[in-house]
Amino acid sequence: MPESKRILNLAISVGELLLKSGAEIYRVQETVSRILESYGIKDYHVFVITNGIFATVYEQREDAASMVRYVPIDDVNLERVAEINQLSREICDGRCSIVEAHEKLETCKNSKGVKNSTLIFACGIGSAGFCYLLGARPYDSMISFFLGMLLEVFLITARKHHASKFIMNIVGSALVTIGSLILYVMGAGILFDKTIIGGIIPLLPGVALTMAIRDLFSGDYLSGGIRLIDALLTGMCIAIGVGAAIKAFQLLGGGVLPL
Amino acid sequence: MIDQMIVSIVATIAFAVLFYVPKKEYLFCGINGAIGWGVYLFCRSYGTGVTVASMWAALVLTLVARIMSAIRKMPSTVFLITGIFTLVPGAGLYYTSYYLIMNDLERCIEKGIETFKIAGAIVLGIIFGLILPQSWFNYLSKITIKRKG
Repeated sequence: MPESKRILNLAISVGELLLKSGAEIYRVQETVSRILESYGIKDYHVFVITNGIFATVYEQREDAASMVRYVPIDDVNLERVAEINQLSREICDGRCSIVEAHEKLETCKNSKGVKNSTLIFACGIGSAGFCYLLGARPYDSMISFFLGMLLEVFLITARKHHASKFIMNIVGSALVTIGSLILYVMGAGILFDKTIIGGIIPLLPGVALTMAIRDLFSGDYLSGGIRLIDALLTGMCIAIGVGAAIKAFQLLGGGVLPL
Repeated sequence: MIDQMIVSIVATIAFAVLFYVPKKEYLFCGINGAIGWGVYLFCRSYGTGVTVASMWAALVLTLVARIMSAIRKMPSTVFLITGIFTLVPGAGLYYTSYYLIMNDLERCIEKGIETFKIAGAIVLGIIFGLILPQSWFNYLSKITIKRKG
């Protein structure tokens, strides 16, 4: 393989993992460019959008190389973003050969992350916390804790089966709503609106919204637009899930339920 | 007030876990979330509306995230994404869909517009926070390197 191709392959693989883990567009673009430059390539073009990277080097020469990667929107993994940031710093300082960089990239890719049980617990704590912040009583927060755990169990299972994001958001928020309403109808004496809000907090498009702004702000309008649509649709899906569940309960109760 | 601060730290850390933040940074994420929520509560207690309070909170939160990222040598996204979750209008979203289902259109529109206003305010807050040039924050990270050396 010609040298230019090996360098481009490394740079674009780093960029791909970075983009997949939820980094901003300008960070991906800058990282890829800097890696190419630090290995001595001056003539290059890199174009990054939310779900793809396109790059060419030495267009006019014999050893020209170009690569395209498709990068579907995936879960945010900030640890990877931080690790790759560190890796690209090392490459730029010239402390890393291409082979070493590839090895480090592989270890980043296979980093274990967090255990499922920890994720479930964290989701419960997050739900309970936000439920409390919104003015609920500790008792409601406790209910929200279990709803949050239930939601994360569902999300993990759905992810394993590659369910679409729409279905995950609609069914997830409906699940939380149904859980709260069942407890409410059974006379648990909860403030069901607060427990539902607490429960749906982990689904909210906070990440998409923040990323959209950052992308738009750095002039990547296309990518920012994609993120913004993502945020809006996620919000709408949550609203549909909650609404449908409440409506279903109303119909079943024949309008008797004091919802 | 103190209980709100502690709960917001814990809740933000929970979200830091969900977004796979490196373990060393959990506490900083939590503090950033608490600062955002604190500013929000502070503004509310002085009688500003939800929207304005959200904007100030997002602004302070973004600045703190950038300062932390300079000191901790981490991408600022790490602190910003986790911190912003305290402000995202989840309650507004719920009430909008609730009133829509209840056929209470007047309140539904009221809540819907409020939700959009809060989202817009957060956007504005982050943008104002991003306007300051990065070189100022780079200076900050140079100082911390010197101290360590």
